[in-house]
Order: sequence, then structure tokens, then C-alpha cells
Amino acid sequence: MSEPSYPAAQVLSLSMDIGKSMIRCGAEINRVEETVMRICHAYGMQQTDVFSIVSMIVGTTRDKQGEETTLSRRVYSYATNFMQLEKLNALSRRLCANPVDPASVRPELDAISRDPVKLHPTVCIGYLIAAAAFTVFFGGTWKDALASVPIAVILWLIGSLVKVRGMSKLFVTALSSATAGFLAISFVKLGLADHAGMIMIGNVMLVIPGLMLINSVREMLCGDLMSGILRLLESLILSLAIACGFAVPILIFSAGGISWI
Amino acid sequence: MDLKQALILIFAGIGGTLGFSLIFRMRKKLIVWSLLGAALTLGVYVLCLATMQHAFFQNLFPALAGALYAELTAKLTKSPATQYLACAIIPLVPGGGLYYTMYNFVTGDMDAFHTQLTQTARVAAGLAVGIMLISVLMHQLRRHSYRELAKETDG
Repeated sequence: MSEPSYPAAQVLSLSMDIGKSMIRCGAEINRVEETVMRICHAYGMQQTDVFSIVSMIVGTTRDKQGEETTLSRRVYSYATNFMQLEKLNALSRRLCANPVDPASVRPELDAISRDPVKLHPTVCIGYLIAAAAFTVFFGGTWKDALASVPIAVILWLIGSLVKVRGMSKLFVTALSSATAGFLAISFVKLGLADHAGMIMIGNVMLVIPGLMLINSVREMLCGDLMSGILRLLESLILSLAIACGFAVPILIFSAGGISWI
Repeated sequence: MDLKQALILIFAGIGGTLGFSLIFRMRKKLIVWSLLGAALTLGVYVLCLATMQHAFFQNLFPALAGALYAELTAKLTKSPATQYLACAIIPLVPGGGLYYTMYNFVTGDMDAFHTQLTQTARVAAGLAVGIMLISVLMHQLRRHSYRELAKETDG
């Protein structure tokens, strides 16, 4: 090949950073492994082995000189961000078509993957639309839909705590569902809404890892067993935390013998 | 289920998709595609609800439709299929089922827990199998899969 060859460490490092950024914005595992592999291949690496789970990527590659390099990347948090995923996808496609100097790609990669969990007002608007829509979807009235809007805003604010203060995701999830439950029941008691259960389930859809559950089953069916099992476990534990959170206000309010659901 | 209920389900579901398109930070120009996908998925879902009994099949066909739509739209707009897929199936995702399962577990109502668990597992399996069938199909259609690439680099 006429193009200059780059050291294995440099190529692998770049491709794994792209892979890490992809996991951080919610890509499936086989897409991440494929991306790392394709980029290394495009740079003329002889053999590449990548293994990834949701919290870790390990990869080894061998260049033309027979030099082998192994690197790993740890992923701590992820949030779905399709805009970023699209940019990373475009970047890796471009690299595969035209493998330029890895060092020159760094600034662009940094710009794309800077703070993927940044708070954004768009997300807040999404929260209120989704909460209102799902309240109606599960059988609530328009009054219930209106009542779920302020709860969605509060859920967004509490959820921001994780990102800003780095609080435990599990704790914040339980806290947000307990708050949502209290507010939903209070709205019904004040006569502002009709069904506390419908408002709760509309807001539950914002925090419950339903898509994660589907993706975990899908990954297991596709052969990514480790990743699938970890995702399944995480979605079950998170939903357990949500149920515990909602159980608190429900048990407190039903202690008087009146069912508010 | 009457027509009014079906329409409420479809339009509220599309609203949910709109919300999640924003939460997932989808590019503004592409949101209209995800809404169309949700309309298709929900339309198929409502038909399946009316004609089928088992939750697995009620969710399998909408997932097939949604996944096929996502793949075709991805080709058309030259962007990853994942985003259209996630947005199109989000109204069907068993969030409620997962919540009620765990809620019954916490409160100790084991009969309801079992019922909800089975139902949620069926829904999840239906959606996942539908998505997987389409992705297997698309994988076969692709010229150069990465498993082949792995074999090739294995020498």
C-alpha cells in the first residue's frame, strides 16, 4: 500500500476512543466492536480482536511489522444521544474510507464527544411531551396529562443531579420515583387530576429502562451474551429501585385505608 | 377496542415518540421520520391487538414493521438505523409491565407479580425477536460483514 503506516498503538487508541464515545451515547455493542475493527483494518492492521461490554472495551491489534498492542477503555456512564452517535458514525466511516493521520482526528473527536450527558433544555421539553403523551396512552384523562407535566420537569431536575453532582444513579432513580409518586397522589387529593396511577405510569416511562430491557434481550439473541446479561441485570435493578421509590408514597397514603390509585 | 380508543392509542403513542426523540437528542430534521415510524408501528400494533391473543405476536409484528422501516429509512437518510428503531418502538416498550412487575414484587403480591412478569417477558421477547429477525436479514444482504472481516484478519 502506498499510504503511510501508523503505529498500532496510535491507531488502536483512536479507534477505541471512538468506540468508547459510541458506548457513551448509547450504541449497541456489536456496532462498537465492528467500528473498532473496521477502523483498525482500514489503517492496515493485520489482525484485530475486540471485546466489549457496556462498561468496558478491550482490544488487541497487530500491525504489519508484527508489533502487537493491547488497550482497554472503561466506560462509566452512558445516556442516549443520537446526534452524537450520528457524528461518530460519520467520522468512523470517513476514517475507513480515508485513513488520515490519527493525531489530526483527535481535536474533532474531542469536540464531538465533549460532555455527552450535558444538560439540555431540549431534553426537558422531551420529558414533558413524553410524560403527558404516555399518561394518555395508558388511559389517563387530559387533566392527568396536564398534571404529569410539572412532575416531568421535576424528574428532569432530579435526573440532572446525577449528571452535575455525580450522585448514584440507583439512588437518584428511587428518589425521583418517590417524588413523582408523592406529587401524583397530592394532585389527585387536591382535585387537580383524576387518576394517580395513570400519572405515575406516564412518568415512569421517562425513567424506566424499557428500551434497555429490549436491547438486552436483543443482544443476547445476537450472541453478545455478556453485554446482554449485564444490561438485563441493570434494567431489572433500576426498575426495582423505581418500584421501591413509588411504593413509599403509595404505602404512606394507603396507610389511612384509602386507595388513591 | 373501538376506533376512538385505537386513535387515542396511536396519537398518544406518536406523542410519546416525539418526546423521546427530543430526549434522545435526535437531529431535528430527522424527527419527522421517527414519527412516521411510530405511526406505522402503532398502526400495526392496533391491528394485532384486535386480531391476536398472545402478547408475543401482538408485539412481534409491530417490531418487524418498525425495524424494517428503520432500516429502509436509514438507507434513505444515510444515518444509523438505531435511532429510528428506538423511537418507533418506544411506545411498545414494556415500561408499564416492568414497573408493575417490580411493584408487585415489592408489595409482596406474588400472583400479580407472576402474571406481570410473564406478560412483560412475552412483550420483550416479541419485540426483541422481531428486531433481531430484521437485523439478521439486513446482515445477510450486506456485502461485507464484520464477522467476515474478523475471519479475514484471522488469516
